[in-house]
Amino acid sequence: MALLPSSAFADHATRPGQHTWVHAIVRWCFIAVSLAFLAAVLLAPLATVFVMALSKGILTYLHSFADPDTAAAIRLTLLTASVVVPINTVFGLAAAWAIAKFEFRGKSILITLIDLPLAVSPVIAGMVFVLLFGLQGWFGAWLQQHHYSIVFALPGIMLATMFVTFPYVARELIPLMEQLGNDEEEAAITLGAGGWMTFFRVTLPKVRWGLVYGMVLCNARAMGEFGAVSVVSGHIRGLTNTMPLHIEILYNEYNFVGAFAVSSLLTLLAALTLVVKTLVERTGYRRRR
Amino acid sequence: MSFRQPSNLPGFGLTFGFTTVFLSTIVLLPLAALVVTATSLHWSDFWHTVLSARALGSYRLSFGASLLAASINLVFGFIIAWTLVRYEFPGRKLIDALIDMPFALPTAVSGIALTTVFAQNGWIGRYLEPLGIKVAYTWLGVTLALTLISMPFAVRAVQPALLEVQRDLEDAAETLGAGRLYAFRRIILPAIAPALLTGFTLAFARAVGEYGSVIFISGNLPMKTEITPLLIVIHLEQFDYGGAAALGLVMLVISFVMLLTINLLQAWGRRDQVRAAR
Amino acid sequence: MSIVLDQVTKHYGGAPVVNDVSLDIGDGEFFVLLGPSGSGKSTLLRAIAGLSGIDHGRISLHGRDVTHVAARRRGVGLVFQNYALFRHMTVAENIEFALRVRRMRARARRQRREELLRLVSLEGLDERLPAQLSGGQQQRVAVARALAHKPEVLLLDEPFGALDAKIREELRGTIRQVQRELGITTVLVTHDQEEAFAMADRIGVMNLGRLLERGAPHELYSRPATRFVATFLGAANLILARRTADGIQIGATIVAPTERASNGRENEVVAVVRPEEIEVAATREALRCGFLARGVVESVMFTGALERLRLSLAGGPHTPLLTLGEGAAGAALQVTRTQYEQRLFEVQPGQSVAIGVRRIHVLPTPLSSFTACAPTVQEAEELSRQPLLVELAARMATRIATRCEPQLGQPGVPCQGTDSFVGTTVIAANPQSAARADWLLRCGARDLLVLPEAARAPQRVLIHWIGEAARSATLAVSASVLRHVAAEAVYVGVFPEPQGGAQPRGMRELLDARSEAQAAHGLEMRTELHFGDAEQQLTRRLAESPAQMLIIGVEHPAQFTERFRALLVSGRWPVLIVHRGPA
Repeated sequence: MALLPSSAFADHATRPGQHTWVHAIVRWCFIAVSLAFLAAVLLAPLATVFVMALSKGILTYLHSFADPDTAAAIRLTLLTASVVVPINTVFGLAAAWAIAKFEFRGKSILITLIDLPLAVSPVIAGMVFVLLFGLQGWFGAWLQQHHYSIVFALPGIMLATMFVTFPYVARELIPLMEQLGNDEEEAAITLGAGGWMTFFRVTLPKVRWGLVYGMVLCNARAMGEFGAVSVVSGHIRGLTNTMPLHIEILYNEYNFVGAFAVSSLLTLLAALTLVVKTLVERTGYRRRR
Repeated sequence: MSFRQPSNLPGFGLTFGFTTVFLSTIVLLPLAALVVTATSLHWSDFWHTVLSARALGSYRLSFGASLLAASINLVFGFIIAWTLVRYEFPGRKLIDALIDMPFALPTAVSGIALTTVFAQNGWIGRYLEPLGIKVAYTWLGVTLALTLISMPFAVRAVQPALLEVQRDLEDAAETLGAGRLYAFRRIILPAIAPALLTGFTLAFARAVGEYGSVIFISGNLPMKTEITPLLIVIHLEQFDYGGAAALGLVMLVISFVMLLTINLLQAWGRRDQVRAAR
Repeated sequence: MSIVLDQVTKHYGGAPVVNDVSLDIGDGEFFVLLGPSGSGKSTLLRAIAGLSGIDHGRISLHGRDVTHVAARRRGVGLVFQNYALFRHMTVAENIEFALRVRRMRARARRQRREELLRLVSLEGLDERLPAQLSGGQQQRVAVARALAHKPEVLLLDEPFGALDAKIREELRGTIRQVQRELGITTVLVTHDQEEAFAMADRIGVMNLGRLLERGAPHELYSRPATRFVATFLGAANLILARRTADGIQIGATIVAPTERASNGRENEVVAVVRPEEIEVAATREALRCGFLARGVVESVMFTGALERLRLSLAGGPHTPLLTLGEGAAGAALQVTRTQYEQRLFEVQPGQSVAIGVRRIHVLPTPLSSFTACAPTVQEAEELSRQPLLVELAARMATRIATRCEPQLGQPGVPCQGTDSFVGTTVIAANPQSAARADWLLRCGARDLLVLPEAARAPQRVLIHWIGEAARSATLAVSASVLRHVAAEAVYVGVFPEPQGGAQPRGMRELLDARSEAQAAHGLEMRTELHFGDAEQQLTRRLAESPAQMLIIGVEHPAQFTERFRALLVSGRWPVLIVHRGPA
C-alpha cells in the first residue's frame, strides 16, 4: 500500500502556534497502541512459529521433514499448486480480457461471481464438491461405477483449492487492465497484429507485475488452504493430506516441533509473497480498488 | 440494447466463453448443488436443522465473535492506518508490509500459533491467567483469531481513504478557525466514514466464514465454543448432506447479503467524488 | 499598513525558499505576487496565512505581530488552488463552517450565508454537494467560505489554475468586484502575468525566493529595473549596448543621445526594447522614429489582431542581440505590429528592411555580459564552459565571450588588446590567479570573477568592500547577482580591533549599508560585524561551508591582491571583485 513521504506532513511541524507537546503525546500513544496491538495479534504468533519449530534444535527441525508422511504432504501440496495456479492464471487472464476490454450486459454479475469465493466460507467451498461428487452426491453413483474418485482424492483437493483461489489473479488483473486502457491494443490491431500477438506482445508485458503478484498470492493461498481441503480430502495420511492438514494432524498428536516445522515453511512462503508484493509496488505499479 | 457493444478488439468470444464455462463448472454448478440439496429437505427438517439449539449456539458464537472482532478491527484498524499514514517511525515500511501477513498466511498456521501464544503457559497467556482471563479454548480465543485474520481488511480499507483526504482540507479548516480536534471530527471522520464501514463489513464477512484458525483455539465444545462452519463439517461427517447443505445455505445467503452491502457501501463512498469527465 | 512583511525567510533543505522578503501592503489594496513556479510565492502566501512557519523575520497583520500566532487566530481567509471544499458537506455547510466553529446561532449563520451567496452570484445552490457543481462554481463557494468569518485579509493561491480560459476571466471579474465591494486587503499568487495585470493594484515579482520588484503594473511593464522582470512581464528584446559620452550606442548607431555616460567612461549596459515599440520601413528615411539598424525579415506570423515578425540584424555572431534560452542561431528581434501598420508597409520573409525604435529602456543592472579570459585560446574556451558560469549566464540571459590574453599575469607587461574590458571578466582560480587579477585590474577591468573549476551555485553570498568608493557599485553588483541565485546575502563588516578604551565602531556603518542596499538597489541582506583583519575574518566565515561566494569591492587593486592572495589562489570559493577607483 502506498505510504506518503514523511515530508508531506512536515509543514505541520513548523507551523506557529501548535501545541507541540500535545501532538507529541498523541503521536506516541497512537504508535504505541498500534505496535502493541500488532505485537500481540500478529508478531507474537509469527515469532512463535519459528521459536517452537526450532525449540528442540535445528537437527530435530530438519529431521521432521524426513518423515515420510510429511514429505508426502509437501509433495501433494506442491502438486496441487502446480496444477491449480496455472489454470487460475489462465482464467484470470481470460476474465480480465473479457471484462476490461469489452462492454456487455451482465458484466457486474460476472464480477460478483468472481468475487464470490472470497465471501464464502471455505467449508462451504469444500462441501459443495462433496455434494456433487461424494458418495451420495449428484455424480457419486456414476463415479463409483467407473471407479473414479474425486472426493477423498487428489482431484477433489484440486477442485476445492481452485474454487477458493481462482479470484486472486483475476482481481489483480481486472482493475489493472481497466486502468491501463485499450489504446495500445487498438494501436496494435490497426498496425495489423492478430489477437494472440497483441495479447502476448502488448498486453502481457504491460501487466506483467500485476500478473506476477496475482500468481504469487494465488500460490500462497493455494498451498495454505485449509478449510475447503479439509472437508474434501478425507484426511488420509500419506495420500490426501496437504501441508495444512498435516499440520493439524501433527498438532493434535502433540508433535509441536513437527507441526511448527511445516508451519515455518508456509510462513516463509507467506513472507516471500509479501516481499514480492513490496518489490512489485516499488516498480511503480499501483492497484486502485 | 444488444448484448455487447461493438469493439475492434478480438477475443471476446474466446475469453468470455472460457470464463463463463469455468465459472459455471467451478462455481455455479457446485452452488446449485448446494441450493438444490438444501431445498430438497422437507420444510420441517430444514427448519429443524437450521434452528436447532446447537445451530443457534453456533450462530451466536460465529456471528457474535465476528461482530466483536470486526468492531475491534474497526477501532484498531483505524489507529493503525492513521499511524502508518501520518507518522514517521523506525520500521514503518516493514510494519506496513506486515499488515498483509494474515492475508497470505495459511489459516492453520495462524490457528496453532495463536493457540500456543495464548495458552495458559504461552507467552501472553501466562500473564492473563493470573488475572482470570482465559483466552485459549474460550469464545475470547475465537474472537482473537477472527481479529487476526480480518485485520488486514480493516486497515487496507481505511488507509487509501486517509491518503485521499486532501491535506488542503485540513489547511482550509485551520484557516477557517477550526482546531485539530474539531477538524478531525467534522472533516476527516465524515470523509473516511464509508471506508470505515466498508472495512468493518469486509472484516465481518471474512470472519463469519472462518474455519482453520478458529478450530484450534476454540476447543469446539458444542453450544459453547463451536462455530457454524464446524457444525457443517460435523453434519457432513455424519453423512447428513441435507443438514449440512441447509446450514451452508444459511451461510451462503448471509455471504450474499454481505457482498451486496459491501458493493453498496463502496458506491456510497464514491458518491462525492469530483465528477471525472471534465 | 495592512500586511507588513519584514525580512521573511524560510529555508528548506539548506537553501532559502523565501529569501529576505520585505513588503508593505496597504489597506484595501489588491496585491499580486507574480513569479514562475518555484519562486517561493506560494510558500510566502502560506507563511502569511500561518500554515507554515518561517525561519527569520516578522509578519504583521493590521498592526498585530502574528509571526508566532496559529493560523486559526490570524483572521485570514485562504482560497486554495484545488478549492479544498469539504466534499461531504453541502455548499451551505461549507460556507457556514467558519461560523459554526465560532458558535454562531443558526439564524445568524443562515443570514450571513445568504449574503455571501448573493455576493458571489450563487443564490439557490445551498443544498448542492460540491461534486454537483462546475469548477467555476466550486471556486466561488471557496471564496464565499473564506469570507464568511469576515477576515481582515484575503489570500488566494493560484485560484484559477484548474479552470478554462473563459471561466477564468469571469471569475477574475467576480473576485475583483467582491474585493472592491468589501474593501478587503487581498493578496493573490499567480504565474500568469495577464492575470496580474488585469487584477492588481500593485504587483510584486518574485524569483528564486526574492522579491525583485514591486510597483503598479504599468510602471513595471514600461520601466523594469531588472532583466527578469523585463522578460517575465511580456516579450522583450534584450540588447547589449554601450553607454558612451554621446549616448546609448548599439552597434554603430547612437540610439538615445540623451542618456549619456556620466563620468566619461564607456560601459556596457543592457537595453530593453518591447516588440511593439519597433517600427520597420523600406528605408531609413521612411522611418518615423530613430533608426537602429538594417535587418532581414526571417518570418512573418499572423495571429489575428497582431502580426509577429522575427528580424535578424546585420552583424551575424557579433549581433548585440541577447538570446533568451534558444541557441545562438536563433537570435532574432521580435516585432509586433498592428494590422494598421501591416497595411501601411507589408513585408515578406527574406526582405531587407530598416528598423527603428520608438522607445528604449536601459536597465540599471551593472552585470551585462561575461568574458572568459586566459593566456591560451583553449583555456579560455574551457573556462567559458564551466557549469556555474554557464548557469549564471543562462539565468541572466546574457552571453559568454572568450578573450585570449597571452601576456595575462606577466608582471610589468601592459595589456596588448585594444578593446577595453567590458562586462564581467572571468578567470580560473589557480596559483596564478592573484597575479592575473592584479594585471587585469590594472588594465582597467571593472568586474572580475575568479572562478574555481568545481564551483557550485552558492547558498550564501558574502559581501564586503574596502574603501567607501566601491560601496555603491558593490551593492549594485551584489543585488544583480542575488537576483539570479537562490542564496542568502550577508554583508560582512570587518573593522579593526578597538584600541584601548575606544568605542567599537561599525554598527552605524552596518545600518547605513543595509538601508542603502534596500533603498537604492532593492537588495535585502543580513549584516554581521567582525573585528580584526578583513582577510582572516572573511576566510574564516567562508570556511564554514563550501557553497558560498564572496563579492568584494576594492578601490586600490595593488593592496587588495597582496592581502587577499591566499583567498584568490585557494580555489575553494568564487570571488567576484568589483573595482571602482576613487572618482
